Amino acid sequence: MNKLQLVFFFVGLSVLAQKQVPNLSLTNLEGKSLSLKTDFAEKDKLYVFSFWATWCTPCINELDEMNEVQEEWKKTLNFEIIAVATDDSRTQKRVKPLVNGKGWDYKVLLDTNQDFKRALSIVNIPYTIVVKNGEIVHIQNGYVPGNEKELVEKLKTL
Amino acid sequence: MKMKLVTLMVFVTIYTHAQDLIKEEKINFYGGFESNSQWYLNDKGLKYTHPDIPLRENSYLFLNLKYKNWITGIQVESYEDQALLNFNTRYDKTDVATYFLQYKMDKIDLTAGYFYEQFGSGLLFRSWEDRALGINNSLRGGRVIFKPTSYFTLKSIYGRQRTGFDISNSEIYGVDTEIVLSDLFAMKTSELSFGLTYVGREEEVLTTPNPEYNSLTNGYAARIDYSHNGFYFSSEYSIKSKDAVVEVQGQIEDNFIKAGNALLMNMGYSKKGFGLDGTFRRLENMGFFSERIAKGNAFNDRIMNFVPSLTKQHHYNLANIYVYQSQPSIFLGDETVLKTGEIGGQLDVFYNIKKQTILGGKYGTKIAVNMSNWNALGGDFYLPKKDYKTEFLGFGRKYFSDYNIEITKKWNQKWQTVFTYINQYYNKKLIEETYDLVKTNIIGAEASYKFNDSKSIRVVGEHMWADSDKKNWAASTVELNLNSKLSFFTSDMYNYGNEDSELRNHYYNLGGAFRHKSTRIALSYGRQRGGLVCVGGVCRIVPESSGVSLSLNTTF
Repeated sequence: MNKLQLVFFFVGLSVLAQKQVPNLSLTNLEGKSLSLKTDFAEKDKLYVFSFWATWCTPCINELDEMNEVQEEWKKTLNFEIIAVATDDSRTQKRVKPLVNGKGWDYKVLLDTNQDFKRALSIVNIPYTIVVKNGEIVHIQNGYVPGNEKELVEKLKTL
Repeated sequence: MKMKLVTLMVFVTIYTHAQDLIKEEKINFYGGFESNSQWYLNDKGLKYTHPDIPLRENSYLFLNLKYKNWITGIQVESYEDQALLNFNTRYDKTDVATYFLQYKMDKIDLTAGYFYEQFGSGLLFRSWEDRALGINNSLRGGRVIFKPTSYFTLKSIYGRQRTGFDISNSEIYGVDTEIVLSDLFAMKTSELSFGLTYVGREEEVLTTPNPEYNSLTNGYAARIDYSHNGFYFSSEYSIKSKDAVVEVQGQIEDNFIKAGNALLMNMGYSKKGFGLDGTFRRLENMGFFSERIAKGNAFNDRIMNFVPSLTKQHHYNLANIYVYQSQPSIFLGDETVLKTGEIGGQLDVFYNIKKQTILGGKYGTKIAVNMSNWNALGGDFYLPKKDYKTEFLGFGRKYFSDYNIEITKKWNQKWQTVFTYINQYYNKKLIEETYDLVKTNIIGAEASYKFNDSKSIRVVGEHMWADSDKKNWAASTVELNLNSKLSFFTSDMYNYGNEDSELRNHYYNLGGAFRHKSTRIALSYGRQRGGLVCVGGVCRIVPESSGVSLSLNTTF
């Protein structure tokens, strides 16, 4: 079978598909299990899931920047940023002190064995998805300084 | 092979018939594609000759289909004409690699086929995928997750572990339970949970007719997690039953039989602007593979548990030359190389100097301090007959230490700087079972400048003073982000201090990346320094090479 044909076939198919958020449960920093389907389901609210790790510098830069401006954004937009830590058990214990040390005001989810990351076929982080009514409505792959402004402009259109 | 092709055809048929349902939004289809290719080129400067097959590609196609509570998926992998250099040769050509069928409800989750799972922190069992390292040790079998209430979870697994496109010669069983007591007793300000794990590996003993150890190796673990306000504590203890030791790859020592154990403790405190975290770990004979003989293989093939090195993962190039690799296993070389495990710890401090103070300035200043120290286990060793008795808190020779500080300062809307100092001690002889001891001091400084809302530049300078091995290095990186879609970089690492003037090489790289929505394409040209490539505390050895690399990934 021609590998390339197969790829195009599926990519073509996927254009038709609705992208739903996977039905998974992840624990937060307090050890409480939260369901992606039911705990992030306020009607028309924008949920910004930002995938990061304690060893990923651009990820931390992005979350630092968004932390600075999120209060300002919230005045006009109904949205929430969720920082999804993809740290495995090597660095997972550094997540909580780092989040607090940085003074981030985010809900943090632990994706310890990368089930969430794998379900979305994420290869590189930082990686950000915007979910509205259970569907993935926007993807931002990577981060360079200034991307946060582009993201807020996008959020206004969603 | 035929079976796999049949499976593939079945999937294709399902997908084809799925189109109508997709339109009705009953079916959710998603997946991803990743391809990493390398064109190896001759390089006179490095005295490097490309392999017979210079053009190689590793690619992965992952497809999933969800209908109501059912999810099915398949992963096809392709290594053409061969896998990238120093990947496991068991990854060869194109084939179906994994597939699964899952039925998922709130209280019950059933999976048949290949699956990934982790018990506790992974001291006894973790199956995961890391394409950069060539690790995919998923199990092929079945898994049941039963969660009758919010505070109780029971997982049971059975399967045979993936190795290349095949499965290994053993069976793995496991059960894991977790109970969240704070939910059960409705505690308001504290979180408390317990977990218990059993993992068994059944592998027939073929090397001796009357083995003094069992074909079934048992592992048991218990863990606790507690947190109250800003304070938290967790611990995990595991034991592994008696089993034949493998010191050198491929040689099962039927008369050298030992049990193993591991203790992991972590505690910390954090509040806004401050975080403190300390970890202690002791490993004794905790190498655990789905086939005994696989211990020590260079590809992390058939590895069953996850005992990564607990050190800071630096992002500076020069700080990744002497990287610690955790030492869970036994190797009794001579009086100076006595390894039965490791003992040590790591401490992290995060502090945010408040805004509008003298040191904090307008935007605050962030400080991160990290320290780690690892030693071999201390005890009594009986060399000719190969035996040992360790002490619980005995420290043997030192493997490694790393003391570092990182200060991040944002000066204004345009400028940000980071300064780092790292001091490392790397006992190469003990860690790699070769020779040499390297002590290093590294400084790294980086500055980023924002031209406007989408254009920015980052410049990094690094220097390493090393007292032996390849001695001193200097390095730099320039990264230009033209807009949110397009970036370019150039970097160089120069081993100017090498005593052998012929080895004073530059390892330069230049390239660019384009990204749009979920797609990323990166192209680069340059030289790869030979050594360890590490992701998440697990390393793969790569040879020195030169050439062009192209990587592409997308999701749909």
